[in-house]
Amino acid sequence: MTDNIILKVEGLKTWFDTPKGTVKSVDGVDLELKRGEILGLVGESGSGKSITGFSILGLIDKPGRVVEGRIDYRGEDLRAAGPKRLRALRGDRIAMIFQDPMMTLNPVLKIGTQMIETVRAHRKVSRAEAHARALAALAKVGIPHPEERIDAYPHEFSGGMRQRVAIAIALLHEPDLIIADEPTTALDVTIQSQILAEMQKLSQEMGLAMIWISHDLGVVAALAQKIAVMYAGRIVEHGPTAQVLDHPRHPYTRGLIDSTPMANRRGEPLRQIPGAAPPPLGRPEGCPFRPRCPRASAECLHEPSESGTDNHGWRCFHPMEVVA
Amino acid sequence: MSGTEAATPLAAARAVSKRFQRKPDMIERFVGRLAGSPPPPTVHALDDVSLEVMKGEVVGLVGESGCGKSTLGRAIAGMLPISGGVVERQGRDIASLKGRDRMEMRLRTQIIFQDPMSSLNPRKTVRQIIGEAPRVHGLLPAGGVDALVADLLARVGLDTAVAGRYPHQFSGGQRQRLGIARALAVQPDFLVCDESIAALDVSIQAQVINLFMELKRDLGLTLLFISHDLSVVQHISDRVVVMYLGRIVESAPTDEIFGPEGPRHPYTAALLAEVPRIDRRGHTFSTVKGEIPSPLSPPGGCHFHPRCPFAMDICKTTRPALKDFEGGHSAACHLDGGAGLRAIKRNTSNDK
Repeated sequence: MTDNIILKVEGLKTWFDTPKGTVKSVDGVDLELKRGEILGLVGESGSGKSITGFSILGLIDKPGRVVEGRIDYRGEDLRAAGPKRLRALRGDRIAMIFQDPMMTLNPVLKIGTQMIETVRAHRKVSRAEAHARALAALAKVGIPHPEERIDAYPHEFSGGMRQRVAIAIALLHEPDLIIADEPTTALDVTIQSQILAEMQKLSQEMGLAMIWISHDLGVVAALAQKIAVMYAGRIVEHGPTAQVLDHPRHPYTRGLIDSTPMANRRGEPLRQIPGAAPPPLGRPEGCPFRPRCPRASAECLHEPSESGTDNHGWRCFHPMEVVA
Repeated sequence: MSGTEAATPLAAARAVSKRFQRKPDMIERFVGRLAGSPPPPTVHALDDVSLEVMKGEVVGLVGESGCGKSTLGRAIAGMLPISGGVVERQGRDIASLKGRDRMEMRLRTQIIFQDPMSSLNPRKTVRQIIGEAPRVHGLLPAGGVDALVADLLARVGLDTAVAGRYPHQFSGGQRQRLGIARALAVQPDFLVCDESIAALDVSIQAQVINLFMELKRDLGLTLLFISHDLSVVQHISDRVVVMYLGRIVESAPTDEIFGPEGPRHPYTAALLAEVPRIDRRGHTFSTVKGEIPSPLSPPGGCHFHPRCPFAMDICKTTRPALKDFEGGHSAACHLDGGAGLRAIKRNTSNDK
């Protein structure tokens, strides 16, 4: 049973020390991910969703530090793992895909060279064998004529194809877990849907677990089985996708859904959330959403703890009523 | 008088083309002179495009990257010299405008860009940014710069006390509001919004969309709303124009395109089907095959034919003309004698 759990994050806190004070980018985050599961991590800019992803991979550099919490990958505590062990895991068992594929790709090397290098960094195989694996990975993500394209440089690919190459590199060792940080945000609609279709297929075929970081509720609704909504460094609501989107309990989740044009009648003013997310150094006491929340009361000056049922949880003193 | 005024569009592009050509470098010129090499490649950013925007209308211009939507926005705003065709403002060819008329045309059309930070001078205060253009053009009201700035800040929903601050002291959403306030300072009647909300967070997007709709209502503005986000365009536009690789493929009233009858052009239909929506759970993406071709060498005939599930032989050779239908709907597609997808959709639903 427990073998099925790929990743378990408990009470993760990642802080950044700046001359003006400590920025609590991630301030107590819990996540759990089973084999083959896709978790949509949703939030606006500065909510800490990317930093959560970086923290899991041990990619936090100074002045940032993981202050507290446990990160368990298949029962192994990643916070206790040394740099050598982390390097062995990254790119092999756990891979990351970024919004901008040029962050992954070296512009002056052929993609084949980069892919073979990645294979041989983790496995003792011949160049020919590594080359064959690279070709297979390129074919898997739907790149036409991989045997020709493998000798091309990153700039010879379009944006969508470049992202496919980055995904192919992530898939080289058939990882258990992929952390995808807004990988389709910069792409056009028709290209985005091609990539999403590939990811759906890969997750089902290979039993890949994925954390899909996005600000787009629509993408997450299509892709993820579970959703976690982040606000000001905390997960304010999490649960099965349908549960969270159809019966949100946190006023912020409700507000996010309501402010999309889809949830409104055409031409009428959108139901907007007033104000803006608090600056990282000036977060209010208690519930960080309090100043923008229509339901806030004196109670909200205290930190709300998590309540809810076994798989749907929220942090709010005045949750939305369940609508039948 | 009023009859002719109503018929004249506020702004119009008539058969406008815009070609971008790279200048040959020295070696290419040298080789060209010796061997007569072909001219450098040309991008047809706009290829015989016509668009009318009526007074008080919100026109949504959608398309993917490289389709020419921003180029069309800039051309119709008079910011970009065009290679062919005519851009009209209130029925007058803007190329023929001189002196005061020309300046007035420029002032009455304002563009709001995607990234407000790159269009706001970081070394100037809000008061200077907003007040400069009206001061230069002698448009200041009796109360002077301060009164105007206070009025505009209030109108875009910012605290009037921020007039002394610099752009970096604002958040993304607030900066976009500053950009809007600056555009409004010269009393335009036509705003071209080029992906103005694309860089904003979801909750802030809603606020800025609401602001645009409020301004349109209160000031009688006309908007050309350029966006890749169909759901936003559906929400605020009266009419939707879809572009693909430098050409308009479909144009129709919003209710028509998003209504039960749906779009006529397969590209529009594909776009609508592929937009991720909250109400589409576990949606399996069907995907349009292929990539957006390079605008340097677009496919012949209908540009969409290599990706179109309905492509016929004629689509490979002949460019479909933009045909008008009832209800102000027009589409450029060879299917069904030019009527597009409608009949096909009806037949497939009858078969079931």
